[in-house]
Amino acid sequence: MNVITIENMHKIYHENSTEEFEVLKNINLVVKKNEMVIVSGVSGSGKSTLLSLVAALEKPSSGKIIVLEELVSKLPDIHASKYRAKHIGIIFQNFNLLESLSVETNVMAPLIHSGLTFSQIEEKVQYSMKLASIEHKATQEIRLLSGGEKQRCAIARALVHNPELILCDEPTANLDKENTLKFISLLETLQELGKTIVIATHDPLFDTLTCVSRVIKMENGRIL
Amino acid sequence: MLNNAFLHFLTRMLYHQKNKHIGAILISILVIFLLSAVLFLSTSLQTRVQKTLKGQSDFTISRIQAGNSISIPYHWVDKVGALNGIESVVPRVHGRYFFTPKGKSFLIVGVDFFDEQNNKLLKSIVGTLDLKVFLKQDSMLVGSGVSTFLKQHYFKNTFTFKTPNGTFKEVHIAKVLSSKSNLFTNDMIVMPMHLAQEIFGMMENEITDITFNVPNDAEWDTVIEKIYLMFYDVRVVDKREIQKAYESLYNYKGGLFLVLFLVVIFTFILILYQRYSMVYSTERKEIGILRAIGWSINDILKLKFYENIMIVFVSFFWGVVLAYGYVFFLDAPFLSSIFLGEANLKNHVHFLPVIPFGLLGSIFLFYAVPFLAAVLIPAWKIAVTPPKEAML
Repeated sequence: MNVITIENMHKIYHENSTEEFEVLKNINLVVKKNEMVIVSGVSGSGKSTLLSLVAALEKPSSGKIIVLEELVSKLPDIHASKYRAKHIGIIFQNFNLLESLSVETNVMAPLIHSGLTFSQIEEKVQYSMKLASIEHKATQEIRLLSGGEKQRCAIARALVHNPELILCDEPTANLDKENTLKFISLLETLQELGKTIVIATHDPLFDTLTCVSRVIKMENGRIL
Repeated sequence: MLNNAFLHFLTRMLYHQKNKHIGAILISILVIFLLSAVLFLSTSLQTRVQKTLKGQSDFTISRIQAGNSISIPYHWVDKVGALNGIESVVPRVHGRYFFTPKGKSFLIVGVDFFDEQNNKLLKSIVGTLDLKVFLKQDSMLVGSGVSTFLKQHYFKNTFTFKTPNGTFKEVHIAKVLSSKSNLFTNDMIVMPMHLAQEIFGMMENEITDITFNVPNDAEWDTVIEKIYLMFYDVRVVDKREIQKAYESLYNYKGGLFLVLFLVVIFTFILILYQRYSMVYSTERKEIGILRAIGWSINDILKLKFYENIMIVFVSFFWGVVLAYGYVFFLDAPFLSSIFLGEANLKNHVHFLPVIPFGLLGSIFLFYAVPFLAAVLIPAWKIAVTPPKEAML
């Protein structure tokens, strides 16, 4: 089963202006269920943009993006939010956590409008924090955490609503080697749980991992 | 409908970001406090005027010649009383007595203590009065401003008036008028009419004005016409005019403040709008993050609405409570002197607690709607931008 299907997709910034810039050119890509795909390339090659388009954080200029049989390239805003809330877990390079809130509240955030009861939400939050090994810092404010702990909190938040697809944007860029290895081991666990994972990184360590299904190289907005 | 998870998230947000909101809350409390204090003051004064005038006679006749008040012959009382539809015709002697060494003056009102109307009025401002004891010697009732002033100048039980023909009249201070009526009676002295006549050097058959009631409201204008036809040099004042004069005075002062404070609210809202729309980048980032993890634009607006409506309620509640305490418990220092003006004798007015719910509701709307708009419009603008852009 295809989790992601991208056909002839282009992304142009500042379209129809003098600053027009084509960041992704004719992208075609298929990612199957339970695959762990690495999108590698230097900074500015278009990896992060590709992930944001799959997450429907922005829209492509042309082409199709189909995720879990849903045409996300044309999703209106309200549906895009629902789509992210249901299917997508995102781990950002700089974690993008709500700094003034606690780990627990951050992890809880994606479930606030899920319709679940408070006790069901709390149960999921506990499970997710345990999976990401951050439950001991549950009440700690984000701004007081180390880089590795923030990373684990971001992972717990990305997993809390049990998404099928996990997108990681330069997940190890702010981590030391020890935390990077811990993260990789967590990715392996997630894959065992049947998740599909796409990781945009320029860290060569990922290219050699046995759990990685494929490595896609990108350069100047094209898949090589 | 708010679920528990949303409430939990909302309270966590408010608690952890309290430093972010504290400035807005404090300024809001201050503005609401000032606005409410002015409203409480002007409404309380107007209510006091209404209550006091309720017990007063409907009409007062005074005599004017060449722009000056002159005395009225006593027999006019019977002439006025003979008119149809008129009740409780009461003669009065009043005038200002100047205490020249200190440049102050007292308002002396000479009344007939046996008159039913006067008795009712006196009861309301002085309580029970033993007339036998009171009239046994030359006695008077003094307003609390007069009482304080006389005590300061060593007149504890009596005060000696100097009459126009150079003689002195010692009058015993029998009682102090209730401070509740200070708005009107602070510099007032009430005494038997013959005593007032003596102090002002008037003849026994002379008075300064005549008061009367007309029970049928529809007859008011006709009665005034009849009196003008009967006496060519009189001025008839009805209590509606007095009430209107006071109301417009307090409305004018209150209105001036309201305009001033509305300008302050407007400026504050503008600053708030700018803060949320331009400067506050963490706000942008937060909205972007929430959008990225699956919150819709409506969810964001709902969060911002409840977050700020709580701020609005807290500020409004404390602003109003503080204003209530300031006006009705502390008697509005500073602000009361602006409203009451420079007093002849130091006046300490105790304000009657009145809550103008309608006006408070208007203030709430004037404050809450622009406040929420100043926060929600920029929040909406950020929420509709692509989350990736907002998170930058």
